[in-house]
Amino acid sequence: MTPAPAVEDIVTSTPVLNFSLGLPGFPDVRRFAISELAPDSPFSVMKCVDTELEFIVTSPAFFFPDYAPDIDDAVIMRLGIERPEQALVMVIVNVAASLADTTANLLGPIIANVDTWEAAQAVLATGDWSVKTPLNIS
Amino acid sequence: MLVLTRHPNQSIMIGSDVIITVLEVRGDQVRIGIKAPRSVEVHREEVWAQLQKANRDAAVAPDAAALGALGGVKKPTADAATSKPTIGDSKPAT
Repeated sequence: MTPAPAVEDIVTSTPVLNFSLGLPGFPDVRRFAISELAPDSPFSVMKCVDTELEFIVTSPAFFFPDYAPDIDDAVIMRLGIERPEQALVMVIVNVAASLADTTANLLGPIIANVDTWEAAQAVLATGDWSVKTPLNIS
Repeated sequence: MLVLTRHPNQSIMIGSDVIITVLEVRGDQVRIGIKAPRSVEVHREEVWAQLQKANRDAAVAPDAAALGALGGVKKPTADAATSKPTIGDSKPAT
């Protein structure tokens, strides 16, 4: 079985994701380039191509191996995802002054179609996911 | 805003394919059923607002020191389990 793609596997190609509906809170932004934060880092940078807007993202697998987001069919359909291996899942990291306070948003994962780079931030209707889940970096 | 009065089991149609039904009124709570095509996303408004705030908070330029500390974190060595989204019928029950 082909494993699901992960953000660290795609950073070298610096793909440009297209959020055709923008992001909650940022309805007008569309295009974001993904690049690595540092060599061997589990974190990547998702930077808007058209504005200064920038997010730190990571693969949930690194810090939340049990994370199993149940993505709304509407999002899957809109992104044209037909097979699990087309779906890249990332979560946005809220960087705090200390690593202990750094959290990830598990309520709104970012889903991208790795064939078309159409992307969206999903809203999980099921499960008890928090927008500020500690990364538990020791 | 359009204001309509409905009794339990009466519905409102939005467009030709979204039906909102008042199922039950109990005290200060109203149970609502939503029937919509699979291509329509339905969210509780407060959840959406929470996500807007979380994105704005996360977008605030972190100070260089914090980013530097983050850059020093290496990938966990444990074989990272694959985290997959569930693709299938995930529409919440209406």
